[in-house]
Amino acid sequence: MKRVGVFVCHCGTNIASVVDVKGVAEAARSFPGVVYATDYQYMCSDPGQELIRKAIKEHRLDRVVVASCSPRLHEPTFRRTCASAGVNPYLFEMANIREQCAWVHAKDKEGATRKAVDLVRAAVAKVCRNVPLSPGTISITKRALVIGAGIAGMQAALDIADAGYKVVLLDREPTIGGNMVKLDKTFPTLDCSA
Amino acid sequence: MVAAAQHPNIELMTYAEVENVAGYVGNFEVTIRKKARSVDPTKCTGCGTCWEKCPTKVDSEFDLGLGKRKAIYLPFPQAVPAVPVIDREHCRQFTRGRCGVCQKVCPAKAIDYDQQDEIVTEKFGAIVVATGYELFKWEEVYGEYGYGKYPDVITGMHFERLNNASGPTGGKIVRPSDGKEPKTVVFIKCVGSRDEAKGKSYCSRACCMYTAKHAHQVLEKIPGAQAIVFYMDIRTPGKAYEEFLQRTVHEGAVYVRGRVSRVFQEGDKLIVRGEDTLLGRQVEVAADMVVLATAMVPSSGWEGVAKMLGLQTDKDDFFQEAHPKLRPVETFTAGVFLAGACQGPKDIPDTVSQASAAAVKVCQLFTQDELATDPMIATVDESICAGCAMCEKVCPYKAISMKTITERVAGKQVARRVASVNGGLCQGCGACSVACPSSAMNLKGFTNEQILAEVDAVCL
Amino acid sequence: MPVAAEAKGWEPKIVAFCCHWCAYAGADLAGLNRLQYPANVRVIRVPCSGRVNPQFVLRAFQRGADGVLVAG
Repeated sequence: MKRVGVFVCHCGTNIASVVDVKGVAEAARSFPGVVYATDYQYMCSDPGQELIRKAIKEHRLDRVVVASCSPRLHEPTFRRTCASAGVNPYLFEMANIREQCAWVHAKDKEGATRKAVDLVRAAVAKVCRNVPLSPGTISITKRALVIGAGIAGMQAALDIADAGYKVVLLDREPTIGGNMVKLDKTFPTLDCSA
Repeated sequence: MVAAAQHPNIELMTYAEVENVAGYVGNFEVTIRKKARSVDPTKCTGCGTCWEKCPTKVDSEFDLGLGKRKAIYLPFPQAVPAVPVIDREHCRQFTRGRCGVCQKVCPAKAIDYDQQDEIVTEKFGAIVVATGYELFKWEEVYGEYGYGKYPDVITGMHFERLNNASGPTGGKIVRPSDGKEPKTVVFIKCVGSRDEAKGKSYCSRACCMYTAKHAHQVLEKIPGAQAIVFYMDIRTPGKAYEEFLQRTVHEGAVYVRGRVSRVFQEGDKLIVRGEDTLLGRQVEVAADMVVLATAMVPSSGWEGVAKMLGLQTDKDDFFQEAHPKLRPVETFTAGVFLAGACQGPKDIPDTVSQASAAAVKVCQLFTQDELATDPMIATVDESICAGCAMCEKVCPYKAISMKTITERVAGKQVARRVASVNGGLCQGCGACSVACPSSAMNLKGFTNEQILAEVDAVCL
Repeated sequence: MPVAAEAKGWEPKIVAFCCHWCAYAGADLAGLNRLQYPANVRVIRVPCSGRVNPQFVLRAFQRGADGVLVAG
């Protein structure tokens, strides 16, 4: 039997002012596989992550769903949280109830809450079918290519080179320098640009 | 600039363009076209005899047409490397098949008319994109400023060239039309920026400050000169920026809040007609020169770079960072980072900071010896793979190949072909799993079962 | 759907398959910019629009979705 924990984030008032977060957690408790569900102000904060770790231990959770912001933002964060509590980081899913729910349905609190519940249900359904995965490894060529040799390219190349790595600084023009070398003195210090 | 050229860890590849990027983070294979300079850099001493003697003069791109260069040229005297190139479009040796002056006069025998473009493929672990900006082409849309037909209506960049000690006028601010020193210079801000009707909606960020600098330079270099700045808003949110602006104002620069409705020639003068919205009335200035603060737009060729590196662009074609606040130099392509104005309009302090940030990200990557790969990649169930190779055909990353396995069937060794996934190349798009007629191919982390379960859950 | 029910404010149920790298990022961007849209869309994140098997679309209709959007 799967043992899923669902953690609903308020994101301060970002989510909680639109979505009924307690209602979402309550609804989640009835989903198949869910043995624990709760809500908290900032799930990504230290205490928030600690809350997840504690719940994993206390309720012997083997899968985790966090309903909060976009996975494009905090998926790596919560995967690490899971890993640190002994749950394979790929037995984790996120429900995006901030960017794709609270923030875009600010005037439709009921609709947003219904949607949040559906998104959590989908995440739970998915996580129940997740299997543990482990990353492979690849080697790294420790040499950088910088495309464009204006101010940005030269500065980046110098910094990387100063750290001891080889850099190729490439430019389509016959010279390095970019737009910068066309400039006269530069603000606010009026020193020369070369 | 010289620091970059002399650094033992930096190899310069100028007059070169990236043609193709293959591979992935830590293991990019980049094909580079080194364009033919027609000059052997190992022999050239940069003495300058060739461009002194070259008989062909053309407008200098570097000086934005304000000065001339030869067909064999250095863009500017302090160019790095100090190796000239032959502009084959204008060089008589190439256009008419005879001349050969530079070859004759070169004491180092460095001129090579037969040099070909060289294509090299090099390995890199990380790529920093710093392709920069160019200026909005105001001549195409701003009829009220004369569509570029008045030679004394110039951009801030032209003004920089006029003002630069190594520029076409040796640093003298003069009118391009007649070489006279202008007494009244009008600056118009937000040309192409903050103008949704004709240009871009964004604020170009650096213009308020460089216009303040230009006004200061007019007042400093030309005795008795007048600098009049037409502005919509003045934005100086940087350290010591507001103080700089106030200094320019105290030096006598006149700031007029309002848009210019028309610039037209009347005799020797450019009449600038606009509105002072603070006084609520029309103003007219008889100017000698008009300088437009044009918006920064992405450097031409951004489409090719975006395509090769898989970069996303924003609505104005600047490269999109992975997150506007939290991942400002990363892109969605692992191992590719952004620096400078290719990500959005920026002034020099911001560009330098961002470039250093990008460098740190590269170093962060390089401090590791091995990189963990995303396990959410395609996987084959060999037991049901029919070896049809449909997946191999659809894979955009060339990550699937066919291999032969042997197995015991009814006591006999039987060999058959099945698909095999290269974990380093697979980007986890899952196209193979859709193409697979027998469902042998699946995508870890986004399996058919997982996605169907989600569909069921949201449709409840 | 009968006309009477429509009059009572019936709204379609829409399932959207969004590519993680573009359409899903776009939906996130809509959030960052607080663009408002109706709450009857359910987004399913896929790693690429090429990952969307026609079977997924049919399944959504089978389960009662009124519209399916594949964006990528």
